[in-house]
Amino acid sequence: MVAPDTDAEHDSRMETARQRAIREETARLRALLRDARTPARRVPAAGGFPGSTAEWEARLATAEELNARLRASEAFTARLLAASRDTIQVLALDGTVQWLSEGDRAALETPDGAVIGTAWAASWPEPGDRTAAEVALAAARAGRTGRFRAPSGRRGGLRWWDVVVSPIQGPDGGPERLLAVARDVTDAHRAEEQQALLMQEMAHRVKNTLALVQAIAAQTLRSASSLDGAMASFNGRLMALSDAHDVLIRGAWAAADLAAVVEGAMAPHVDAVAGRFTAAGPAVSLGPRSVLTLSLMLHELATNAAKYGALSSPAGRVAVAWELAGTDDPVLHLRWQETGGPAVAPPAREGFGSRLIARSLVHSFGGSVSLSFPPEGVVMELEAPLAAMQDGTA
Amino acid sequence: MTSDPDRHPQDPRQEGTDPACDSNPVVLLVEDDGLLLMEASDTLAEAGFTVLEAPHADEALQVLESRSDVGILMTDVDMPLGSMNGFALARLVSRRWPRIPVLVVSGMGSPGPHDMPPGARFIPKPYAPSALVRTLHDTVRRAA
Repeated sequence: MVAPDTDAEHDSRMETARQRAIREETARLRALLRDARTPARRVPAAGGFPGSTAEWEARLATAEELNARLRASEAFTARLLAASRDTIQVLALDGTVQWLSEGDRAALETPDGAVIGTAWAASWPEPGDRTAAEVALAAARAGRTGRFRAPSGRRGGLRWWDVVVSPIQGPDGGPERLLAVARDVTDAHRAEEQQALLMQEMAHRVKNTLALVQAIAAQTLRSASSLDGAMASFNGRLMALSDAHDVLIRGAWAAADLAAVVEGAMAPHVDAVAGRFTAAGPAVSLGPRSVLTLSLMLHELATNAAKYGALSSPAGRVAVAWELAGTDDPVLHLRWQETGGPAVAPPAREGFGSRLIARSLVHSFGGSVSLSFPPEGVVMELEAPLAAMQDGTA
Repeated sequence: MTSDPDRHPQDPRQEGTDPACDSNPVVLLVEDDGLLLMEASDTLAEAGFTVLEAPHADEALQVLESRSDVGILMTDVDMPLGSMNGFALARLVSRRWPRIPVLVVSGMGSPGPHDMPPGARFIPKPYAPSALVRTLHDTVRRAA
């Protein structure tokens, strides 16, 4: 079914018909003028000559004026096409290229001659896109509009094109030729790809975070002695995870400085007394996985210190210090040292914090950790290959 | 509790059992996140499985080469420390140890058409612990 003409299509057909009429009239008048200037062929007015010399001279002048208008119109159309940023091709009904716009000539890496007369659909590199091009051609031949998006390697690398194929209607209203207009949508396409990638990445992170929260909740409930205690522990761990996320977000989720991780993990546990908590070490960049793990470990140590250790008494102190050893494959050494608190005794049973500290770092990063409970204060010493702690997503 | 999560995966104390006859099927759990591994290990141990742990694919392969009692492989996908991800490990295990059924878990969405070996099962993270246990029991039962 052919769609009803739009006003623009109707005007275009009328203009085409008018231009054809002008050309025919001009040609007829030129022939008449030629005949009139040839004595042997001059015939009397009564024999059919259309009026006096003055009359046909006037008609000729009118035709010349119309011709000039036509040339001006054609020139304007050419400038219009040249101004378009789109690449425009006129195709025969069988899909062979008949004409290229200036924009297309500039974008193509081959000369015009190599393109004119070739099959337009075959110019798309990917088989699936060639099929889409054939489908678009078929739609245009049927009087409809065909459209597809496809990549094509032209000057300046691979570009993405939004291609519209539509019929150019002849005097009878049916498709006479086809118009293929390709608009460069590379930037929009790459933005869409980037957005899809970000959505995928975000979904992955959300799922992993939910799995982490699920594990924290389950482990908290496993080791809790009361529901109130479980609630308090779970909230603290969730806040520690949230603080670690804040640190990671500041680093665009790519890396975070160890000092910021330590500060973020300790902030909820340290009061305003100056010097109660110190952190010292060189600038060390950590990956997201180790940031989350280390934050939870420090939270467990700080919570324990606030309940039973150095942070439970005004004189208590906590010092966190770290250094990098080795140059080729540096190893991170980090030490947590409590002093000045109540006398420490080893815990009667291994809780969530101890298990997390003992297993997470070793397991996740190929490192080692020791947690000891001398009477003067808890000490945790860990070491792990820096490369492993900088690697990976979370 | 049958699990001994702190035991080294190659601990010889657990060798020599036939997984088909074992009332405590041995699960080789490959997970790079210590906390997730801790929880999965506890869940499976409470459900009656014997759990062996490996932080990445290379260590999992060492376990499989040194033991004959592994009844099922459960692996995460994204494991930066090893030389291959969980999908590659699953395919390799299916080829080399075809009697060992494979369960893949991941937060990375559904697997692609050629990611999983034939017959392997997939569970997205996070998962309900009961669903994990049920799936593992079904898988072991079908493989027996």
